[in-house]
Amino acid sequence: MIPSDHFTRFYNEVFKFLEKQGEEDLKKYWLEISKNQEKHTLELFKEKGLQGMYEYWDHIRIEENCDLDLKLEEDNLELKMNVCPSLSKVLDNDAEPMKRYCDHCAGWIGPIMDKVGYHLVYDVIDRNQPRCVVKIFKDKKKALEEEKNARLLMDWPGKK
Amino acid sequence: MIDKNPISLRYRDKGNVHMDFHGATNTTINFIIEKYGIETMNDIFKKVGNDVYADIKKHIQSGNINMLAEHWQHFFDREGADFSISIKENEIILTVKRCTAYEHVKKLVGKVSPNFCDQTIKTNEAIAEGTPYEIKTEILGEASCKQIIRKRL
Repeated sequence: MIPSDHFTRFYNEVFKFLEKQGEEDLKKYWLEISKNQEKHTLELFKEKGLQGMYEYWDHIRIEENCDLDLKLEEDNLELKMNVCPSLSKVLDNDAEPMKRYCDHCAGWIGPIMDKVGYHLVYDVIDRNQPRCVVKIFKDKKKALEEEKNARLLMDWPGKK
Repeated sequence: MIDKNPISLRYRDKGNVHMDFHGATNTTINFIIEKYGIETMNDIFKKVGNDVYADIKKHIQSGNINMLAEHWQHFFDREGADFSISIKENEIILTVKRCTAYEHVKKLVGKVSPNFCDQTIKTNEAIAEGTPYEIKTEILGEASCKQIIRKRL
């Protein structure tokens, strides 16, 4: 068993292999992970919208030991990741970290947001630091406005 | 006797355990095998064994196989598995009566990849590769296995 505690280091090895195959290979994998994550998120997000997203990431905050601030507003949800355990483990690793490790997160969340009709603004800030800011909006105009403030804006397959 | 809070482990996670990661591992195994074949999947596990677990490998290389026992104790404990570890000179046996990783995936998706346990078999083989020891993994049944590290003959 690769312990669940070490999943991200396994993930990192998968990313490095796929990156060598090409960008499309990496994107197809993110989409596969996104489909996997639909089991945990899709119905909740469809039924409860931003409140459902808050509930999901509050659960993740606890279970994945994240230093994460969640702020639910009427028109958006903000996730401020102060210390990301996923990238932290990949950096604290005897294997070499994949340089674009952070990209997978928008790679699976983005397609789900597109499916449920919300708009994701994913600011990774710096791929070498385990922190990021994510904002999710119902209103596309507000999301586009927020994108202007991002320091390193993430993309994902089929972004709407 | 194995230290249940070893300070010597390279990776010594604390806090909560996110078992759903095993579901993502199962998805990954199916994806990689379908698109690239089983040899590619095994090569990735080999990288995990050689690179991610380089520290355990280094200890085994120098004859300290207890480090693997500490690793097993720490992480199978954290995952709430039903297991036992028997330590003899030059041989350690981990018997997993109930693998919570396998059970969790079965609960999540119903059908566990037939190659799910390759993560154990192939990663173990890679950790031992090039050392005076071998690690054999015997699948005893669904969610149950025996992992044995012993000196090569």
